[in-house]
Amino acid sequence: MLQVQNIEKVYGSKNNVTRALDRVSFEVADGEFLVIMGASGSGKTTLLNCISTIDTVSAGKILMDGVNVADLSEAALAKFRRERLGFVFQDFNLLDTLTVEENIGLALSLNHVDPKTVQTRVREIAGKLGITDILAKFPYQISGGQKQRTACARALVAGQSLLLADEPTGALDSRAAKNLLELLSLLNRDMGATILMVTHDAYSASYAGRVLFLKDGRVFNELLRGGRGRSVFYHEILDVLAALGGDVSDVL
Amino acid sequence: MTYCKLALRNARRQARDYLVYFVTMVLAAALLYSFNALAVSDEVQTLAARSANLSLMIALASLAVVCVFGWLAAYSTRFMLSRRGREFGLYLLSGLTNRQVARLFFLENVTVGAAALVLGAAFGGLLWQMLRAVVLAMFAQPYRFALEFSLPALGLTGLYFSLIYLLALGRNRKRIRKMKIYDLLCFDRQNEGTVLRTGKLRRLVFVLSLVLGVAGTCLLLRMDLYVALAGALCAILALFGFFLSFASGVPAFFDRRPARKYRGQNLLIFRGLTAKLASMGMLMAVLSVVFTATLISEGSSSVLYGIMKGRTAESACFDLYIGIEGERLDPGPYLSYIGENIPVERERLYPVCLTGKTQLQDYLEGAYYNNGYGSDPVLRWSDYAALRALAGYPAVEPPGPGQCLIHCMPYLAGPLGTYQEAILVGDSALSPGGLYTEHLSQSYGTANGRGYILVVPDEAAVGLPVHHLAYAAKTARPVTTEQVEALAGLASAERARQEDLSGYAFVLSKAYEEAEVAAQALMVCFPLYYLALALMSTAVTILTIRQLSEMERFRRQFALLHELGMDRREMARALGGQFALYYALPAVPAVLIAVSFIGHLAMMPEPGVMVGINSPAAIVITSLGVFFLIYAIYILLAYTSLKRNVLPK
Ligand SMILES: Nc1ncnc2c1ncn2[C@@H]1O[C@H](COP(=O)(O)OP(=O)(O)O)[C@@H](O)[C@H]1O
Ligand SMILES: [Mg+2]
Repeated sequence: MLQVQNIEKVYGSKNNVTRALDRVSFEVADGEFLVIMGASGSGKTTLLNCISTIDTVSAGKILMDGVNVADLSEAALAKFRRERLGFVFQDFNLLDTLTVEENIGLALSLNHVDPKTVQTRVREIAGKLGITDILAKFPYQISGGQKQRTACARALVAGQSLLLADEPTGALDSRAAKNLLELLSLLNRDMGATILMVTHDAYSASYAGRVLFLKDGRVFNELLRGGRGRSVFYHEILDVLAALGGDVSDVL
Repeated sequence: MTYCKLALRNARRQARDYLVYFVTMVLAAALLYSFNALAVSDEVQTLAARSANLSLMIALASLAVVCVFGWLAAYSTRFMLSRRGREFGLYLLSGLTNRQVARLFFLENVTVGAAALVLGAAFGGLLWQMLRAVVLAMFAQPYRFALEFSLPALGLTGLYFSLIYLLALGRNRKRIRKMKIYDLLCFDRQNEGTVLRTGKLRRLVFVLSLVLGVAGTCLLLRMDLYVALAGALCAILALFGFFLSFASGVPAFFDRRPARKYRGQNLLIFRGLTAKLASMGMLMAVLSVVFTATLISEGSSSVLYGIMKGRTAESACFDLYIGIEGERLDPGPYLSYIGENIPVERERLYPVCLTGKTQLQDYLEGAYYNNGYGSDPVLRWSDYAALRALAGYPAVEPPGPGQCLIHCMPYLAGPLGTYQEAILVGDSALSPGGLYTEHLSQSYGTANGRGYILVVPDEAAVGLPVHHLAYAAKTARPVTTEQVEALAGLASAERARQEDLSGYAFVLSKAYEEAEVAAQALMVCFPLYYLALALMSTAVTILTIRQLSEMERFRRQFALLHELGMDRREMARALGGQFALYYALPAVPAVLIAVSFIGHLAMMPEPGVMVGINSPAAIVITSLGVFFLIYAIYILLAYTSLKRNVLPK
C-alpha cells in the first residue's frame, strides 16, 4: 500500500542544517500494523508529516498505491488526505467547538458523504469503539482516552485506508494507553485497518506486527513479531533498544 | 515582590494583548469625554434651557452612552480575563490564592484604566475641537482653535468612567474568586451553554420578542417623547429577547435535523456561531441595539437638516421679503426703516390678490394641504417678472392674451402641469399657459401664495380683491440679524397700533434664515450625527476585540481541517459563511426598525419640504449607505486579515 523510498528531509539553510530524515526506506503492506520506534528527536514526527503530505520531502519518493504523492496538486493532496488517511495524534486534535459526534461526522462531511447517512455511520463506528454515550459531549468534557477513541473513530469513519498515529498514548495513563492499544490492534485485526504508528515507548510498540527502529533520522533495525506473544516481543524490543546504545532509560 | 510590582511587570509583558484593551479603553474615555463636552457645551445648554424635553433627552442619551460604554468596558475586561486565564491558572497552581490573583487582576486593570482615562480625556478634547472646527467650517461660522477643557465635562467623564470601570472589574474580581483552577486553565476553550434551556421558554421569548419589536417600532413612530421612550425600551427588550432565543434555538434546530447539519460547510458555520452561545447572543443583541441607535441618529439628523434646508430654501429666496397683512395694509413704517438702514439695489412692492374662487384648490385637494387663502391666489405678470429678476431667475415669456401662468412648488408640478381647463379670474377665463417651479417664498400665509400662485396679465387682475401686500428686495449687503429683528419689531408695533391681532407682517431674509439653519444644524444635527459616529465606532471596536479573541481558535481549527484534507476553497467558504452570518444578523433587525422610523420621520413635514436629496427615500438610502459603507470597509478589512492569518498557507 505505502512505499517509502530513500526519503530525506533537511531543515534549515546552508550553514545550519538539520538532517531530520536520512535515506529512509520501508514499505507498509495492506492490513499491516507497523510501528516506527525511536527516541525523542529521532525524526518520527517528521517522517509522519511527510507521509501524511502535510510536509514535503527533500529527496526520495513516497508512493501510495504506486502513485507518487509529490506529483499531486494541492487540491488532490487534500482529497488524498481526507479520503485515504486517518490521523490520531498525541495532542488529540479534536475541534473544541464540535461535539464528539460532530468531530467524527466532520470526516464524513469533508468527504461530501450524503448528509442523511452521516449520523447513522457515526453511531455505528462509535458503537464499535465504545464511545456511544459520550457522543453529545464536547472534547473538554471527556477523558484523554475517550478523546483518542474519538480520534480513532474520526480516522476510520470515512473508510480511510491508512491510519497514522503519532505517539497516540503519550498523554494517557497506562490503563487508558493499554485500552487504546488494544483497540488499535482490534481495529487492525477485525476491521482490517492498516496502521502506521510512531512511538518512543517499547510497550506501545509491542502491539505491532513489525517494528522499525529509527535513530538520528536513519532506519536502524527491524523486528518482526511473527507468531510470538506480546510480552516476548516486548522484551525483544527492549533488547534491540539496549543494543542501540544506552538510551533505553530515555525511551522508557 | 509586592503585588503592585508583579502587576506592573505583567502589564508590561503583556503589552500586545493589553494594547488592544488599552486602545479600547482610551477610545471609550475619549468618546465619553467628547460626548460630555457636547452635552455641557454652550450651544446645547442654551437650547436645553429653552426646552425641558431636550434636557431630558440629554440625560437619557447620557444614560444610553454610559450603558453602551459600560458594556464595552465589561466586554473588554472579560476578554482580557479570557486571554490570561491560563496564566492566572498557573498562578493558582503555584500557590497564590484566588483572592490574591483577583487582587492582582484588579490592580493591573486599575493602572491601565487610570492611564486610559487620562490619555482618553486628552484625546477626547482634541477630537471634540476637531469636530467643532469641521462643522463650523461647513457652515462658514468663525472658529478659533483653543485646547480648553471643560471642567464639568472632565468631572462627568471621570465619574462615568470610574463607575463603569469599577463595576466591570468588580464583576470579574468576583468571578476569579469563585473560579476553580481548571476553569481558568480552560477558560478560552470552554463552550458556553444555552441561556434559555427549554424549547417552550425559547419559543415564548421568541414570539414575545417579535410582538414587542413590532409594538416598540409603532410606539417609536408616535413621535411623542414619553411614548417613544417606552417604544425604545420595548425595541431594546425585543432585540435581546430575539437574539437570546434565536441563539438558543439554533443548536436545537440542528439537533433535530442532523442531515442539514452535515451538509456543506453548515457544521463549521453553525458551531462557529454557537461555541460562545450566551455571549454571542448578548453581543448580537447589543450590536443590534447600537446599530439601530446609529441608524436612527444618522437618519434623524438628516431629516432635521432636510427640514430646515427645505423650509429655508423656499423662504429664503429673496434677500429681504416682508408680507404685510391687516386692515390698513400700510407699508410706510417698513419702507422708511429700510430707506434709512438697508442699502437696497432693487425692490418691489406689490399686492397678492385672490380670484375669489377655489377652482385650483379644489382640483388639488388630495395632494395639497389647506392653503389658508380661502381662494386661489393671484400675481400680476409685471410683479412676477420683477420678482424673478430679484431672485435672479431667468426671464420667461409673458402669458399670451387669454392665458395665465402657474408658479408652484415642485411637488405640485405633477398635478398642475396636466391641468387643462380654463381658469376663471374675475371676469375672464384664462387657459393655463406655462408652469414654473423655482423657489418663490410660497410656504406662508403672507407669502406668494401657498404652494402655488396664478400669474395673470396685469389687465386681468384689475379689480381683484387684495389678500395682502408684499415687499421683496435685493440688497447690496446681507441683511443683518438686528435689521430683521427691528423689522419684526415694527410689525408687532404696527399690530398693537392697529389693535388688529389677525393682521401681521412677516419678515424673511436670506442671510438670517441661512444663519439660523447653520445654528440649528450645529446644535441638533451635529450632535446627533456625532452620537451616531460614536456608537458606530464603539460597535466596530467591540467587533475587533471579538475578532482578535477568535483568531487563535480559528487558526487552530483551520490548521486541523487542513490536515484532515479540507479543500482550501471550502475553508474560505466556511470562514466566509461564518463571517457573513456573524455580521448580517445584528444588522437585519436594526435596519428594519430604523428604516421604518426614519421613513416615517421624513414623511412628517408638510409636502414640498422633503424633496430632492432630502426626500424620505433619499434620506433612508443615504443613512443606510453611510452605515453600510463604514460597515463594509470594516468587514472587508477584518475578513482579509483573518483570512490571511487563519487559513493555512
Ligand atoms: N520545523 C523544523 N525546523 C527545523 N528543525 C526541525 C523542525 N522540525 C523538527 N526539526 C528537527 O528535526 C529533528 C526530528 O524532529 P521530530 O521529527 O520532531 O522528532 P520526534 O518526533 O522523533 O521527536 C529534531 O532534531 C528536530 O529538532
Ligand atoms: Mg514527535
